[in-house]
Amino acid sequence: MSDGVRMVAREENGIVSVKLVILHPSESGARKDENGNLVPAHFLKTGIVHLNGAPLIDLQLGPSVSKDPFLQFRFEGKKGDVLTMTFTDSKNVQFTTQGNVQ
Amino acid sequence: MKRRQFLASGIMFAAFLSIRPSRLFAQWSSDSFKQVPLNEAFRNALGTADIEKTDKITIVAPPIATDASSVPVEIISAVKGERLFLFVEKNLTPLVFSCNYHGSALPWFALNIKMKESSMLHAVLWDGRQYIMSSVHVVVLAQAC
Repeated sequence: MSDGVRMVAREENGIVSVKLVILHPSESGARKDENGNLVPAHFLKTGIVHLNGAPLIDLQLGPSVSKDPFLQFRFEGKKGDVLTMTFTDSKNVQFTTQGNVQ
Repeated sequence: MKRRQFLASGIMFAAFLSIRPSRLFAQWSSDSFKQVPLNEAFRNALGTADIEKTDKITIVAPPIATDASSVPVEIISAVKGERLFLFVEKNLTPLVFSCNYHGSALPWFALNIKMKESSMLHAVLWDGRQYIMSSVHVVVLAQAC
């Protein structure tokens, strides 16, 4: 698991709920620092989630996502299913994690 | 295996390896995330601003957000859609995210967002036939973004 990503996936009655936190500044480019200077934009742009190797969700994200994005989604699955996620930010840095459904 | 066949298969394998997963999905669209008024943001992201209102999508968000830098928004759809979008009307960049569903993904998504000021939130779903939309208003007590 990447240091910058925390993921929990739990199954109940065939529905898997996924909670995901990505440690990221998510700067929109519109915020000013304490000296009145604009902080350059730096935010997550894409995210791809695979379930057992097959695509499940793909995302395009903009600068309106909050700092340290907290995402949740659901799918039909079972315990032991393997989730792989890759997020890429506006500086082309990738955040990847993999985990099993519990 | 002949040398020519060996080389051809090697080239095919190298070409396969060069296909990164991100290339299999829609590329990030700078047009969709432009700083434009809402109707233009609709047209840039959806190709239309003519969207039917529905009660099949529910947006769960606090009516009054005390922390505009992190407003929790949950979107629940009663119909299985293929693509989900969230727009914040008064944000500099109205489109917050677009999400494509595949396989067994359910039309339910939650995310914390930034809001510049009090605004309407619009969740838009492509149900495979048309775009449908539901909206709520959120009051913010301090500016973010």
